[in-house]
Amino acid sequence: MSFLRTLIPFDIIGGLTVTGRYFGKVFFSANRKKIRANLAHFTQEYPEVPVKLQPRFRGRLTLLKDEQGEIKCVCCLACEKICPTQVITIEKGKKEGRKMPFPVRYDFEMERCIFCEFCVESCGFDSIILNHQFELAGYNREDFSLGMDGLGHNMFEPSPVGRHSVAED
Amino acid sequence: MFKNEEMEINLGPQHPSTHGVLRVKLRLDGETVTKCTPVIGYLHRGVEKICENKTFFQGQVWTDRMDYVASISNNLGWAEGVEKLFGIETPRRARYIRTMLTEQNRLASHLLWLATHALDIGAMTVFLYAFREREYLLDLFEAFCGARLTTTAFRIGGLREDLPPGFIKNAQAFQDRFLACIDEYEELLTENRIWKKRTVGVAKLNAEDCIALGVTGPVLRAAGVPYDIRKAFPSAAYAEMDFEIPTRTEADTYARYLVRLAEMRQSHRIIQQCIDGLPEGPVMAKIPKILKSEVNEVYHPIEAPKGELGYYFVAEKGGTMPYRMHVRAPSFVNLQALPKMTEGRLLADVIAAIGTLDVVLGEIDR
Ligand code: SF4
Ligand code: SF4
Repeated sequence: MSFLRTLIPFDIIGGLTVTGRYFGKVFFSANRKKIRANLAHFTQEYPEVPVKLQPRFRGRLTLLKDEQGEIKCVCCLACEKICPTQVITIEKGKKEGRKMPFPVRYDFEMERCIFCEFCVESCGFDSIILNHQFELAGYNREDFSLGMDGLGHNMFEPSPVGRHSVAED
Repeated sequence: MFKNEEMEINLGPQHPSTHGVLRVKLRLDGETVTKCTPVIGYLHRGVEKICENKTFFQGQVWTDRMDYVASISNNLGWAEGVEKLFGIETPRRARYIRTMLTEQNRLASHLLWLATHALDIGAMTVFLYAFREREYLLDLFEAFCGARLTTTAFRIGGLREDLPPGFIKNAQAFQDRFLACIDEYEELLTENRIWKKRTVGVAKLNAEDCIALGVTGPVLRAAGVPYDIRKAFPSAAYAEMDFEIPTRTEADTYARYLVRLAEMRQSHRIIQQCIDGLPEGPVMAKIPKILKSEVNEVYHPIEAPKGELGYYFVAEKGGTMPYRMHVRAPSFVNLQALPKMTEGRLLADVIAAIGTLDVVLGEIDR
């Protein structure tokens, strides 16, 4: 019996059956839109097809404005204190016609941010969120120091995405 | 004419089979290893020291970055350790959700181990299948806490938020199909003659040596010692769960493979119990905004996928930070067994031994 087992590789045939089954599934459902969504295809063509993120995804820190276009932040400095990597620096100030304190500067050094969302959690005024952006690579160090009035990379809009992709070249 | 000379070579730190930046100095006599010295420290960041300068709330983010494959287990250890230090009682629902996520993380970690271990030994197919399931689990973590790897999933006193809508449905969908997936891996590997030749009898470490070296986790259980922190010192909701501790007695690489697969089935069972018995209620206990400690010290062990993960806190009076924090990292302790496993055996078995120990360098170097 053991001689027969050595001669006929049942074990390897068993393994090949598993592989073959998946090969068949993928082979016969490729290029057919209807069956594509089934469990045979697991990979995504990432740069061409955008990634679907979960609603709670933690991306880059973003400052929010209210309906009147006013900055919501009231400089309670809770986020600055809780941040484990100390990447937020806030300068308190006053603004005409506003009762609450107003942040003159809100600096955020993204290169040290670890996307933990402690800042958002500590903010009692819902004035910051982490957006859904994860393509945050940049060419210069300056790209990573964000603030309220930076040129092109401010804290209110998503960061510009690097232009170079393999698909375009 | 021919001189008989021993040769010294370096395996790593950039070798793909050392799973990170592990460097192993090997003294070879032909193909036989006569001396094996692991060299560590390439990924040292000083996590323990950093945590002594961070408050109890902030420190958790560093635990993510120790064993980055099983960060939810690390979060659990930190959160429960601090809760023990302050005597905080976590709501039952939070404990159930913690248990469920930790077990899912154990599955993810074991799947990564299976994938890379099989790839090291030469079975490419399992790698792709195991990553397919792991991807699904990472999506679940992303849905729960927003990140896939560095999760920071729990908070002191419970959870930040309840489960997102649809989480239970997706988790159940995974449960329904996962057992068939384990069968698939088994079909590919368990009886495969090449796999058996590379693993049976390789890198043996018997129970006495395991205990003498402090080795825990699946390596210890594959040597026949039924020691599991989940049963020995149950935390979270493990005391209410019904599961077994799989053990083998062969104490070789193949036995460890079987133990880990059996553990995945047990984790599947625990997750199912968590889903079925998930209690209603709040997920966060009432805790003060600033935690001020008394003079106290606490050691809290949990069962991480790699073995016993322990957090040791020393607190001073009125401190918001730990006075001293120490981590008993399972990979760090398990790695000491590598010379014992490999000396006197062939060079190719070193790769199998590193794989079977399931080391993560982020945790070893900390
Ligand atoms: S996400 Fe974390 S690291 Fe980043 S700014 Fe907020 S608190 Fe700091
Ligand atoms: S916690 Fe919110 S309101 Fe307070 S300073 Fe930070 S962003 Fe502004």
